Amino acid sequence: MDRGMVIFLGALFTFSSSWLGLIVFPFQQLGHEQPYQKSDSDDPYPQPLQGIAVAGKRVYQANGCMYCHSQQVRSQRFGNWWDDNGEERTGADIKRSWGLRRTVSRDYLYDNPTMLGTMRTGPDLANIGVRNPSAMWHHTHLLNPRSANPWSIMPSFPYLYKREKIVGDRSEKALLLGREWTVHPGYRWRPTPQQWDELLRERGATILRQVLASAPTETFDLTTADGQKRLLDFWLTTPEEDYQIVPTADGEALVAYLLALRKAEVPLPEAKE
Amino acid sequence: MATTAAMTTTVDDSARDRAQAAAERAAIDASCRGPVLFFAASAIVWLLVGSLLALLASVKLHTPYLLTASPELTFGRVRMAHLQAMGYGWLSLATVAALLWQMCRLSRAELVYPKLLILAGVLWNIGQFLAVVGIILGDATSVEWLEAPAYAPPFFIAAVGIISAWTVAVFRRRREPHVYVTQWYILGAIFWFPWLYLVAQFMIFWSTAVGVVQPIVNWWFGHNVIGLWFTPVAVGTAYYLIPKIIGRPIHSYYLSIIGFWSLALFYSWAGMHHLIGGPIPGWLSSASTVGSMMMLIPVLAVAINHHMTMRGHFHRLRYSPALRFTVFGAIAYTLVSVQGSFEALKDFSEVTHFTHYTVAHAHLGVYGFVTMIMFGLFYYMVPRLTGREWASSTLIRVHFWCAAVGIAIYFAGLSIGGWWQGRMLNNPNVPFAHIVNYTLPYLFSRSIAGTLMTAGHLAFTVLFVMNVAGWGQQRAGGPTFFVEPPSASLSGPQRIGPRDL
Ligand code: HEC
Repeated sequence: MDRGMVIFLGALFTFSSSWLGLIVFPFQQLGHEQPYQKSDSDDPYPQPLQGIAVAGKRVYQANGCMYCHSQQVRSQRFGNWWDDNGEERTGADIKRSWGLRRTVSRDYLYDNPTMLGTMRTGPDLANIGVRNPSAMWHHTHLLNPRSANPWSIMPSFPYLYKREKIVGDRSEKALLLGREWTVHPGYRWRPTPQQWDELLRERGATILRQVLASAPTETFDLTTADGQKRLLDFWLTTPEEDYQIVPTADGEALVAYLLALRKAEVPLPEAKE
Repeated sequence: MATTAAMTTTVDDSARDRAQAAAERAAIDASCRGPVLFFAASAIVWLLVGSLLALLASVKLHTPYLLTASPELTFGRVRMAHLQAMGYGWLSLATVAALLWQMCRLSRAELVYPKLLILAGVLWNIGQFLAVVGIILGDATSVEWLEAPAYAPPFFIAAVGIISAWTVAVFRRRREPHVYVTQWYILGAIFWFPWLYLVAQFMIFWSTAVGVVQPIVNWWFGHNVIGLWFTPVAVGTAYYLIPKIIGRPIHSYYLSIIGFWSLALFYSWAGMHHLIGGPIPGWLSSASTVGSMMMLIPVLAVAINHHMTMRGHFHRLRYSPALRFTVFGAIAYTLVSVQGSFEALKDFSEVTHFTHYTVAHAHLGVYGFVTMIMFGLFYYMVPRLTGREWASSTLIRVHFWCAAVGIAIYFAGLSIGGWWQGRMLNNPNVPFAHIVNYTLPYLFSRSIAGTLMTAGHLAFTVLFVMNVAGWGQQRAGGPTFFVEPPSASLSGPQRIGPRDL
């Protein structure tokens, strides 16, 4: 036989073996999975994404959240550590409250794409909608993660928000953040000493009034440098008067998606260990 | 079966035969020049783009405020664009340049209709451009290794079709009856890659493989694109270059055949170890653990073969740039593959999965092994295509040491940091904040490594541009060495005889 033919057939055979074994066979095996319904009165689980969460998934994809966050909870028996008594323990994911149980294939029935992830630079998000259901928390965190956790290395996503002049009342959707986080969205703002001197000169009385409105028990001795610095620290935590930060459509959609991530909550028979 | 006739036959060394062989080689090289240099040049462009994206992503990870307000340059997009630029730009285009030229040389056949191959190169570059720009502008898919938005793949598919067909055409027109092991690897690669790519695109994006079947297809692809596309061509290149440069046949023909077939069989089964502990049927990851362990066979076969061929010739690493890069790559291949086999064990994976340890491993593979061998090949091949020697051995030295020290720091830093990151992730009593802080110095070391590697790539680019622009010496007096070897004994290629390809 021609040498080229040998290589061709050999390459075809070896490769087909893995294609059949690893792709076609699991495709058949898993292709027939159905949602789980404990009784007729229960809603089937899982549910496909609905409403703006679908668009939110696109935002999650486009911005590569998956490259720092996984979406899978591993088994009780997975991974080991030794506790204070020197005893070997396993199953960190569940103990970190990343889910009530491990995730199984049925949890992903409607995921497309299925973003299991390969990296945990940040915590697992399979169950984030259960673990932290506060949309406002997610918005403030996304605008600048360091507003929630100073040690965070997650990027800020200020482009999912807009800073706008308040007309009439502050919007209900406006983020509840001090001005240090909102003057330069995504960054942390602090005036330079010269700017602060100038601000105090120009609007010192107003600033003091603003601060005392939110911290009435404090006193500030503005004749000392220390008192001025303390006033600044307080002032930075008060909201801006004329401007507010509200989510864009993408920002709202993304948080809707995060809140819809509720895997590893409903018990599934096959997930029992 | 004739033992590596191409490399060993000490046919009579008469001047006339040698002149004839040289003329044949020159004709083959002339027929390849356009397309191969085009693929090589665009590979280098993407190498630079990929390096800058890499550096930016790396710095952002420990300095999160850097350019954080820019949607285009947010970490996730830069990270995905980097992978596309390196995987389909640099690695794939360099692989194509390597396989086309070696296939022509080893088949002793000229490339016909080279213009169509240039068209393939143009199509590929269009797809590549769309992929990177599309990701930056927010169209990424977040499917690892397949991040390119839907409008890019058709270009890749058309280009790959042409490239595969041409490679087979060259092979079928071969004048050399012996089929050397490098050709086996090349034929395997040009057959596997289109199949892999089509199946993955089709199942993930065009049909309805949802749920966990998607990550299964995803990692079957992600693993095999390295193992059955980059690896065979890079290993084949080492099989070509080492004997050529030291002027000595490959140690064992049979080992090279065992290596080829066991790679073909076992590598393709190994991919599911990327999902150990994940929500997939247990037997799948077990099957892949077995496949991964069996990979020790082809890896050791290649390692022994290359080592035995080099034995007694290691001093030549002092002189020959091409050899030094290639041997570095070959050694990294052994290391990364043995490491990979053990990473597929459950106990090991429990710690390293989801950590920077895996990133270090991946870079030892695609950089320490594949990229270094491609550099080696370029140092050998380009002067033969342009007729000019490299203009500066100092710049080559800068390139080598930046790349070698860079990948060493990269690998060491992220392996250590990643290992302990994994140990701590497995202990729920360690707060997440502590883990993040712990990894920072290691992430910083990666930025230093990346700066070095990028500097090396700049040196390489300068050399390449100078060479193509006609800056080097005419190729007459032998290759550019780091230092002149003591005797003429290194001019191996000319010494093997007329059948030397
Ligand atoms: C560079 C890596 C990185 C990227 C990219 C990233 N994150 Fe994070 N994320 C982190 C880190 C680190 C933490 C933990 C610190 C913190 O809370 O900010 C985190 C925390 C979180 C949390 C809180 C989890 C918890 O358990 O409290 C959520 C929600 C989150 N990220 C969502 C996202 C979304 C949505 C995206 C994409 C738009 C994203 N992240 C992109 C690294 C990243």
